[in-house]
Amino acid sequence: MNALLQDAHERFDPPLAARGLGHGYEGATVLRCINLDVAPGSVLGLIGRNGAGKSTLLRALLGLLEPTTGEARVFGTPALAMDDTVRQRIAYVPQQPEALAWLTVEQMFDYLSRFYPSWNHAFASDTLARWQLPENKLLGKLSPGERQRVELVRALSSEPDLLVLDEPAAALDPVARRELLREIALRAGEAGITVLFSTHIVSDLERVASEIAFLHEGRLLLHCPVDDTKERYARLWLPARLASSTPTSTLSRRSHADGSVSVVVERDAHGRWPEAHAQPGVRLDVLGLEDLFVEIAE
Amino acid sequence: MDASLLTIQPGSAEPIYRQIVEQLRRLIAGGQLGAGDLLPSVREVAAFHAINPMTVSRAYGMAESEGLLARLRGKGMAVAATTRPTQTQAQRLALLEPQLEALSRHARELELPADVVLRRLGRLLEN
Repeated sequence: MNALLQDAHERFDPPLAARGLGHGYEGATVLRCINLDVAPGSVLGLIGRNGAGKSTLLRALLGLLEPTTGEARVFGTPALAMDDTVRQRIAYVPQQPEALAWLTVEQMFDYLSRFYPSWNHAFASDTLARWQLPENKLLGKLSPGERQRVELVRALSSEPDLLVLDEPAAALDPVARRELLREIALRAGEAGITVLFSTHIVSDLERVASEIAFLHEGRLLLHCPVDDTKERYARLWLPARLASSTPTSTLSRRSHADGSVSVVVERDAHGRWPEAHAQPGVRLDVLGLEDLFVEIAE
Repeated sequence: MDASLLTIQPGSAEPIYRQIVEQLRRLIAGGQLGAGDLLPSVREVAAFHAINPMTVSRAYGMAESEGLLARLRGKGMAVAATTRPTQTQAQRLALLEPQLEALSRHARELELPADVVLRRLGRLLEN
């Protein structure tokens, strides 16, 4: 491929794309018809309850498992048919890394650095030291938390164009977590790398994500800029006597024991809330991301 | 100004870019920031608070369009020389919007008719 064509490809092919992506294990459906585009330079935070299908979605997007329906593409290449030039641009950290357990940390870094032309040796050794990771210990002997920290350093050291992290916060103390978030935010904002990470720690997302996606029971319920979650959606609470005038198009609906109803509503194309919000006795509350997620996912 | 002067609350129902603009507005109104004071770069704010640089850019852009900040060539953002006179009436009214929204909401919750509330507000404004 000549340079011009390659350029055009990089400009137009989103780092990640899914069309009708579905997956299931032993008769149970885990992902249902996921359509998703992740734009270059964005930081997409994937929120979902345990078992919502987050890990499966990340793996399917990267071609680490074969979907039962649909297709995933990475930088325009079918995820199941990536070559080394595409793989070099990606770093993925699973929740429970297991590969290369017989190597020491130092040996793994030495080995992997040969596959990545832009491997950042200085970053690797600095961060391993700062995160108190013993370079001479066997990977298989590390605690699960240490193991995931090693993998995070490994992923960042390869200077990827696309970084995919599955629940990265779990293994980190608050100081290291802040440091990881800073690294994600600055690399996305300045180097233009694309980041996808799953979490159920919502405050992490609010700091660094440019977009969020809610995954619930294998479906994408919402995918929007993170500020929209606070400016475009709100919870409308109607007392029992007004329950019948609840707007019909809502993202969720909960009936309470006293007959009152709360629903999640969206502004229309002109930025207006549904008419019902102006009635006496009705409350409209702007929600934080966590509350919005709980409202929708319950 | 140092990036540590800002407080970011990720869990708040107010988007982070708005939190930044509101704090700048208050710091300027309260005199902690004076005309010509330089602001920390987008990168410094993003790195200190571990937030997305685009969020900081958006906040600075909004503060600039409101006349709170001015872009100095080669130096970055600074507090605008004359904040007050450059603001139109509409811009100054916009500062009241959150309070007006809260007032309207409370009035509705108390099931008070609009004319009663407006009469009372009118009297308060005249004094």
